[in-house]
Amino acid sequence: MSLSKPPWNHFGPHHPFPDKQRFHSFYRDAPSFLPPLGFSISAALVPPVTSNMSNSANMNALSQDEMERFQKLSNEFEPDVQVCDSPPSPSLASQARKADPAKGPLVSTKQSSHNIAMEYANADPAFARKTNALAVTHPTVRIMKGDGNCGWRAVAFGYFETLFSRLDPIRVRHEMARFKSLNTMLSQVGLQEHLYEIFTDATDEILTQTHQAIQNGEPDEEFLVSAFNDEYSANAVITHFRLLTSAWMKLNPQRYQAYLTLPLDQYCATRIEPVRTEIDEIGLQALVDGVLEGAEFGVEILYLDRSEGENVTPHQLTPIRPPGATIRLLYRPGHYDLLYRAESTYQSPPPVNMTPMVNLQYDMTSNLAAWDQGALNFDVNSQLMSIPNLMADPGFGMGAPGPMSPMPSVSPTPTSPFRLSPSQEMYSSPMQSHVSSHAPSHAQSHAPVPSIPVSSPTPTIPSAAPPPMTSLPSRSSDGPQIRLNPLVMKPNLSYSLPVTTPFKNSPYNQAHFQNSDFQPIHYEPNDSRRS
Amino acid sequence: MGSQKRIAKELSELTASPPDGITVTLLDEANLYEWKVLMEGPEGSPYQGGIFQIRLVLPTEYPFKPPTVSFATKIYHPNVTNDDKGSMCLGMLRPDEWKPSSKIGAVLEFARQLLAEPMPDDAIEGRIAEQYKNDNKRYDEIAREWTRKHANKT
Repeated sequence: MSLSKPPWNHFGPHHPFPDKQRFHSFYRDAPSFLPPLGFSISAALVPPVTSNMSNSANMNALSQDEMERFQKLSNEFEPDVQVCDSPPSPSLASQARKADPAKGPLVSTKQSSHNIAMEYANADPAFARKTNALAVTHPTVRIMKGDGNCGWRAVAFGYFETLFSRLDPIRVRHEMARFKSLNTMLSQVGLQEHLYEIFTDATDEILTQTHQAIQNGEPDEEFLVSAFNDEYSANAVITHFRLLTSAWMKLNPQRYQAYLTLPLDQYCATRIEPVRTEIDEIGLQALVDGVLEGAEFGVEILYLDRSEGENVTPHQLTPIRPPGATIRLLYRPGHYDLLYRAESTYQSPPPVNMTPMVNLQYDMTSNLAAWDQGALNFDVNSQLMSIPNLMADPGFGMGAPGPMSPMPSVSPTPTSPFRLSPSQEMYSSPMQSHVSSHAPSHAQSHAPVPSIPVSSPTPTIPSAAPPPMTSLPSRSSDGPQIRLNPLVMKPNLSYSLPVTTPFKNSPYNQAHFQNSDFQPIHYEPNDSRRS
Repeated sequence: MGSQKRIAKELSELTASPPDGITVTLLDEANLYEWKVLMEGPEGSPYQGGIFQIRLVLPTEYPFKPPTVSFATKIYHPNVTNDDKGSMCLGMLRPDEWKPSSKIGAVLEFARQLLAEPMPDDAIEGRIAEQYKNDNKRYDEIAREWTRKHANKT
């Protein structure tokens, strides 16, 4: 058929393209633009005009062109599906080994991530390197069928799977009630109940199954895999999530419009609601905000792209959540799958080889958890966005530090090498508590300093030359008790965050016996806590 | 089955309050998936005065796949195949643009709107589209004549 262009402007008024200038002044006029949730749209959603800046941060944001290319790639998965429209064969096991997203079941059983590494063995070296490293940190993966729904399906499946893994029937009941209450959003945007009830019924049905599975003590999530391989009910759940996302966006336009290149209603009508339209980053953020946020699960995307580095680039869409409650998506151009971290690393801070590309300036202020927090709590504000490297600095917390980073406000003088040690967060963060348990007893001397006045005395270490250690300020100074040795700024140490670990073992630490100024740990304990 | 439940509700809504110029019945009372639709040609169009019979077929995967719409009455229109199938497939009816939240009522209104305003750029009958754009008067005449001949009120 020779039909080409969608007729969306046929019914409604023709919407002109939004005036970018207008959106910018909108933001200038409304510096309090802060999403109503506990976190803000993060670097992934920087509007096109500022997207070059997000490149400087951890995530190598894709250019508009690349995004479009990927969307195209994603769309090109569709023809495969047209061919295999028939319901998936029930013998999932036989198909599960296939890693080709265009074939196989809608949701595969868990399989080794080495399959992905194998796929890329002869591909671009960057992909080969990253997939190999990925197979170590995230040994299992669940392949989604590439039919234009894969991102939606991955999140939806990940949601139910995570919910099931909590083994908490009360929580499932709570989620059932929550989804019921989300129906009001659908009504608010004018959907009639008889049009959406089969979708909400499908979600409810799977929640009921999850509830029963927990109570029956089912050993694994096989029932979810079957449910998601029933095309009709999987489509219904995905449609439910799509409609909720669309409704959420329409009800919170101020949060998304600036990131869209077309009017929000049109975006929802053409990019969110139609069947088999792959999710993009804005849609994904909206899905997380509008549908998953209430469940308090984390969502993390690992980008497999050609960016520099040995590892896939992780990106958090939510605040850090308790271990085991995070849905991890693997994104490769045009496709989403689900990833699973090695079980044993659940209790750990991000493994070393998961370290995002870090601007060294960040290293000085933050451990990783705080750094992510800072990025997520950042108030997307045009003035601040115009200052390079500012976005992820929790020192700029706008007086509102994140819930997990009780860092007192510190002078953000970018040239000063002296920052508050991240040790406070390390000791207060439950996720990192093992660090303190390993810490030798003299870690006491790292006792948190309650507050550092912005006008604290200028520290005396020259920023350039680390030795000799005699230049360390005396303990009686009122300045920060923990000082980062300038050595930790060296690039070869940048992967050893959190920085206090090398520091406490370093002879440059006054508490270290090899330090020429070695001081017993009980040296003037009252003094050191005085401030 | 979810689709039946929804189709039944949509059908009862459409029979209770039908859109302008559209009447809906089941082709066979026992089969929810095949509808007979009578559509009046919109006023001001060359189809005015005619009554067109449309067959609307819902797939079993409805609402995840769109209904198919075909004109049982012959019609001279750039967007309807000029054969015995009389199929119409564009816009919201395309499988990859279909939204599961669209209603059948909206599909029918879309079809009727298309009679009032053909979309020659998305035409399936290139020759008629050409004529619609370049020799609108002639197109009008033929469409009117066909309407008189084939879509006469009986």
